[in-house]
Amino acid sequence: MACWGMELGSGPAGARGAIALQEPGERWKHPLLITLVTEASRSLACLDAERLEELALSCQALNRDLARADGETRAALAAESREATSDMAVLARVLEATRANLNVMNRLRELRGGRLEYGAQQAPEWPPMESGHGNN
Amino acid sequence: MGTINSALSIMSGALDADQEALNIISNNVANANTTGYTEEVPNWQENSSVTINGVSYGQGVTETGATSVRDKVLTERLDQQQQLASASGSRLTALDTLQALFTPASSTSASGDIGTDITSFYDSFSKLEAEPTSSSYRQAVLSAASTLAADISGAASSLASQKSSLDQEAAGVTSQVNALTTSIAQLNQQIMTTSPDSDAGTLEDQRQADITALSKLVGINQITTENNGLSITTTSGALLVSEGQSFQMTNGTESGETHFYVGTTDITSGLTTGGGELGGYLTARDTDITGALSSLDQLAYGISTSVNALNNTGIDADGKTGTAASPLYIFNEPTAETGSAENMSVVMTDPNEIAAASSTEGTGGSSNATAMYDLAKSTSAELNGQTPSDYYSSFVSALGSTVSEVESENTAQTASVTQLQTQIDSLSGVNLNDEAAAMTSLERSYQAASKVFTMLDSIMASALNLGEQTTVS
Repeated sequence: MACWGMELGSGPAGARGAIALQEPGERWKHPLLITLVTEASRSLACLDAERLEELALSCQALNRDLARADGETRAALAAESREATSDMAVLARVLEATRANLNVMNRLRELRGGRLEYGAQQAPEWPPMESGHGNN
Repeated sequence: MGTINSALSIMSGALDADQEALNIISNNVANANTTGYTEEVPNWQENSSVTINGVSYGQGVTETGATSVRDKVLTERLDQQQQLASASGSRLTALDTLQALFTPASSTSASGDIGTDITSFYDSFSKLEAEPTSSSYRQAVLSAASTLAADISGAASSLASQKSSLDQEAAGVTSQVNALTTSIAQLNQQIMTTSPDSDAGTLEDQRQADITALSKLVGINQITTENNGLSITTTSGALLVSEGQSFQMTNGTESGETHFYVGTTDITSGLTTGGGELGGYLTARDTDITGALSSLDQLAYGISTSVNALNNTGIDADGKTGTAASPLYIFNEPTAETGSAENMSVVMTDPNEIAAASSTEGTGGSSNATAMYDLAKSTSAELNGQTPSDYYSSFVSALGSTVSEVESENTAQTASVTQLQTQIDSLSGVNLNDEAAAMTSLERSYQAASKVFTMLDSIMASALNLGEQTTVS
């Protein structure tokens, strides 16, 4: 099934694998925040758990690298943060929709489990043992 | 930090909305255990027992209808999300058109850039102030006033056209809704007659397809009834289908706008908030466009009345001052705020009637021109305590925020529909392993995305507070 929001990651910045471009010895640079955010929304819509776990690792790396970032980088990040705010709102909404869907699925699973247990209590409606249904 | 807080505030708003939707689902799940509902949901089928050497070994029961329960609840959830996605989608389309009217760079309409017009108009008094007797500067004032009036009036006309167009699109939905409710009622009748106690197979599929199509058009609630029947109401409770009977929706015009009825009851307001394409059209028509028109009216009224009042009290180039019988008005003087934008025009034809001088000066004075120029920097109660330029900027900014908000909504709702569709596709079999795998994927995705969100939010919050802690512990 074609997944929603493919266009979010279809540009050069959002292409799969475009994150983590840093070469060894290269001046530290981080993936564009907006790329991370839009990619996360797209992946969540498609329930691409592996990609989301990769993105979580990217975020951890970004956070770690920020500790040694200079003022210029931090200023650039602040600008990127402002730019990515509306996309964060989208991610928040997709996350909430996912949470609601997950709740529905969990309740359905509980319902199903409950019914299996509940079924045993409906024994009076079952035919009694040795009622002639066996293949003796 | 306001922006991040806004994102979180949106998140909490979305949570409330989803909780409401979830409650409806929860009711359905709860009802699944009630006697009336069990006819519609999985029942238990006794397995044949095996008797060996006179001893019977019961095989217990097999759940035969779990798929049915699951599909029903999931499909209903999907329908609800589809209603929301359709509503925000049609509203967004209307909002994009609306926003284009006030976006000069991409505007192809005649409305131009009202923000620049306002500045140019008041600036024209600045030049006149320096040379109050200059004919060309007087003409420049009238010219700038004409451009401003034409652009505001043009924008108001475009809004009225868009409103009318949405009105027609909304009215067009009625026949589609009626065709679907009629079909659902007929299918109900057949299902209740032929399969009162069991799944009706293709007939139920057809009914579900109709319900899904109906969900895209209007917000609905489904109520399962006895004998595999179904009643459908709008989200505000107007009955559209009661088992084998459908109730036609009609429309009529009230105060120039299309209203919708079931029987004699006006259900327009409920449809507006209910979802579906129709909800989106009506929200755009009654909230977004009406709001934009009202703001433009307020702007036109504020500018026209304040400029006219000052000009009327000054002295023009011929030494005249305004009177009740012959007022010196630059703009058509509005009698009420409503309609001010569409009727805004320049009524002054003679540039000499611009009263650059105050009543205490001679015709060569310029105090009144200065006062009119200062109106650009004056706040007024008519414009909510803002200057004309600030008022217009706030309006455009608020419109942009609304578009952005609805865009976010639509993206999330579309994502939710995609997720649900993925789940339904994954659960097409009754295989518990498949179900577990689908659930795991959903849970893993949610957990990883939560982690991404939390970390990004913290990083961004820190980045926006330079100098404070930047890394997330």
